[in-house]
Amino acid sequence: MSSTGKIVIPIVIALTVGVIVLGAAFVGRAWFTLPFPVLGLGDPPVQPIEFPHASHVNIGGVDCVFCHRNVTSGLAATVPSVEQCMFCHKVIGQQAKQLDGISGEQGLLTVAGWDPKTMKATQPINWERVHRVPDHVKFNHEAHITFFTDPAYETSDRKAFDQPSQVCATCHGDVASMPAVKQVRDLKMQDCVDCHRDNGAPTDCTTCHY
Amino acid sequence: MDLSRRRFLQLGGLSALGAVVFNGCDIPEVELQVQSSIDIPEDTVAGGELWYATLVNQGGAPEGIIVRVMEGRAKKVEGNPDYPMNRGKHSARSEGALQALYHPDRIDSPSHDGVAASWDDSIQALGAAVTTGKTLVITDPLRGQLGKVVSQFVASAGANHAQFEPLSRIVLKDALSQAFDQERTPHFDIKNAKCVLSIGADWLGTWVSPVSHSVEYGEFRDGGHDGEDRGYLIHAESRFSTTSASADRWIPIKPGTEGLLALGIAHVIVEKGLATGDVNKAFKGGASALSPFTPAVVADGTGLTEYLGNDSLKATHMIENAAVIFATNSPAIALGGDSAGAHTNGAFNLAAAYALNQLVGSVGVVGGIQFNPVFPLDVPQSAVGASLDDWKTTISDMNNGVYSTVIVRGADPVYGLPDHLGFKEALQKIGEVIVFTSIPNETSNGANWVLPEQSQLEMWGDDIPDPAPGYPVLGLQQPVVRPFKDARSFGDVILEVASSVGMNGTWALDMQDALRTAARELHKLNRGSVTATSFDDFWVGILQRGGWWDTSAAIGGTIYQGTPLDVSAYSNPEYLGGGKFHLLPFRSVALWEGQNSDLPWLQAAPDPTSSGVWQTWVEISRNDASELDISEGDILELTNNENKQQINVIAYPMPAIPDGVLGVPMGQGHSAGSGRYARDRGVNVLNILSAVQDKTTNAHAWAATTVTLRKTGNKTRMVKLEGEAATDQLEEWPVVLISNH
Repeated sequence: MSSTGKIVIPIVIALTVGVIVLGAAFVGRAWFTLPFPVLGLGDPPVQPIEFPHASHVNIGGVDCVFCHRNVTSGLAATVPSVEQCMFCHKVIGQQAKQLDGISGEQGLLTVAGWDPKTMKATQPINWERVHRVPDHVKFNHEAHITFFTDPAYETSDRKAFDQPSQVCATCHGDVASMPAVKQVRDLKMQDCVDCHRDNGAPTDCTTCHY
Repeated sequence: MDLSRRRFLQLGGLSALGAVVFNGCDIPEVELQVQSSIDIPEDTVAGGELWYATLVNQGGAPEGIIVRVMEGRAKKVEGNPDYPMNRGKHSARSEGALQALYHPDRIDSPSHDGVAASWDDSIQALGAAVTTGKTLVITDPLRGQLGKVVSQFVASAGANHAQFEPLSRIVLKDALSQAFDQERTPHFDIKNAKCVLSIGADWLGTWVSPVSHSVEYGEFRDGGHDGEDRGYLIHAESRFSTTSASADRWIPIKPGTEGLLALGIAHVIVEKGLATGDVNKAFKGGASALSPFTPAVVADGTGLTEYLGNDSLKATHMIENAAVIFATNSPAIALGGDSAGAHTNGAFNLAAAYALNQLVGSVGVVGGIQFNPVFPLDVPQSAVGASLDDWKTTISDMNNGVYSTVIVRGADPVYGLPDHLGFKEALQKIGEVIVFTSIPNETSNGANWVLPEQSQLEMWGDDIPDPAPGYPVLGLQQPVVRPFKDARSFGDVILEVASSVGMNGTWALDMQDALRTAARELHKLNRGSVTATSFDDFWVGILQRGGWWDTSAAIGGTIYQGTPLDVSAYSNPEYLGGGKFHLLPFRSVALWEGQNSDLPWLQAAPDPTSSGVWQTWVEISRNDASELDISEGDILELTNNENKQQINVIAYPMPAIPDGVLGVPMGQGHSAGSGRYARDRGVNVLNILSAVQDKTTNAHAWAATTVTLRKTGNKTRMVKLEGEAATDQLEEWPVVLISNH
């Protein structure tokens, strides 16, 4: 082996191992928890409308359950239909030009194809999903809301919440302060099981996998 | 490497397999999306409803209501079926409380000289204002806990308290005191009566407690299957009101002669030997004192003869007939109020009407006048607005620098007092004017501090009805939604101010605390509509029911004897204004005295008589209109020659109003600073009234103004619900009477 080879080969091997280790760490982090916040990973997805949760919650005083109205009674929280948006926005924001979220090109009226003559929307809105669990996981919103709000389940360490909307932040973070909603907990199995153990909830496999 | 044909195919196949495998592992894009459908799917839960009982006061008597709340929003108001006053019914005004809650002009936060301020600064300023000089507190008439809190606050601050209502009930209070020696209004047991004789009081429309009266009226008129027990209603009034329209016999008389009519009816009853009560207890001097008031004299004096085409016989017979029906259909009730008391002889007119009850033995009996027991709590149980004379004194004091601070809540005296009294100018001389209101009004326009008050559906409160239904009743007001604005209730604020400046006395933390403390006293009684072992259960119980009442505490046949009426004190009414026409302002059933003008639902609620909406019109008789060549829509100028005030109103010729009388609804004519639905619409009829007073109580004689009338030559379309066709009976289409025979 030439003297050059003696120097280059270990460097190449070291670099290769380093890349493999870094790659494994990168993939492993994303596999077991949230990805490293680089290259746009972990950023909130780009939505068809820049929906401002902050103004709806903080200024409008709209409760989470007002829009995600299935959250206290079903598996899915559900996103509101355009018709439901327009219950309020038939009036609110129609004349306010500065509210591009409603009247601009990327606004609700344009994206939903609002027809002012018929007062009907013509297109659905396809939101990019922010929170998603694998298909083999059954997450029931109603059960979690009930668990945290019903005084029957409260313990000496944990008082029951007064309102369902107070429970939401447990998994979804302070959505009211987010310019765009992003995932703040990894929502992996370890996360779920830890939370179940901390709160005395069942950890049997069939609780979530059935 | 040589690439053979076999090798090429192998690599090609492997590539295709890889593409399929890796593509199959990818997540379809649709699974990474969530869709807002266009319409709400039918199977999506639309929210559960909750009904909360509370109390609302949008003019008139507070009504017990239940409110449907979904997802934190109040959606619908209904009458509280449990509440003893309105028993499941409610007025359009109560429905309007929803619009008041969501009103776009609601004030967001406190402001000082037009600049947004914090509540901390506001409370500090209030505290400094009430402790550094003389304060005048102006409110609507207050009963219950808020009345008690305000009284305590005023006493501790060394302030004065003036209660304001545009059409004060002080004359009624005086008449009841004269007739029954009672401060509180008795219960009129209409549902069990066989006959009601009402004089001046539009008790089915706008007088005292119209919804509870209407509930009783339904039972009064329900005569069973054969109709034998159907009550008979006689109503005497100068205007064709809701009650006039409902009456079996309407007696139209000249404004201010209501007392004379009552004396004429008394004369007939005594002369025909129909009096079952003691005439000497009713009228001083007994039968002989009544002898001058023969039906013929009264028919002429009240103008009835003239109204009936100068048919003296017909007029005389109408009075005799009314007296006989009233006296022979026992139990019968006589009541009086409103415009009958709004004259220079107003107190006499009402006292004469109530004296008729003594004459026919209707006091303290079922189906008659029943007295209300004292409520078992130490709180104000009756309140009326101050007299005109008191307001003149108050305005004079304001001008003379007696007050450094004026606090106004629940009242709009700049709108409600005639302009020529100068209240607005006097207010401008006050250093600190602090106004609590939910929506801007005339008084708040000139205020230094404008403090947003919570809406009726957001606050704690209570009411002890006056009149009560014959037994003690406490209505409870609780918030049914969270406050939408940075608003607070008046009671909460003054309690905080009192505590923060260390005023003498014990102060509740807030109105809820004050109400809970009072409720503890009721809980200890262990009787009434709600009883419970623990106080918490009792509290929840009375909130669920909308209050507490105790039917077992009725005082039944107790008779309070007032002073026999001195008939010789009768005087003819005096009018001011120098005009040919009597001006008769009347409360709007929806806008009331102007309090609800900001609510489009109530602006659009048609007047029961004309069906007019959104405007100010004048009811004028067809004869007068014909004589002056006036048709519907003509703009008429009404002038009070005494104070030179003028208003322009839209002509509404109608067949039912007597000649020479002009009926003008109250409620419109708010200035530019008011809410968007109230301002610059119609005219304020209160501004044209003369400052003439009732001689006994010094109350404003608001029905004693006469005006001249002039066509301006302008015309507009009167907005109303009814069609253009005449609504009176056409000769070619006679009414078909349905008969069993």
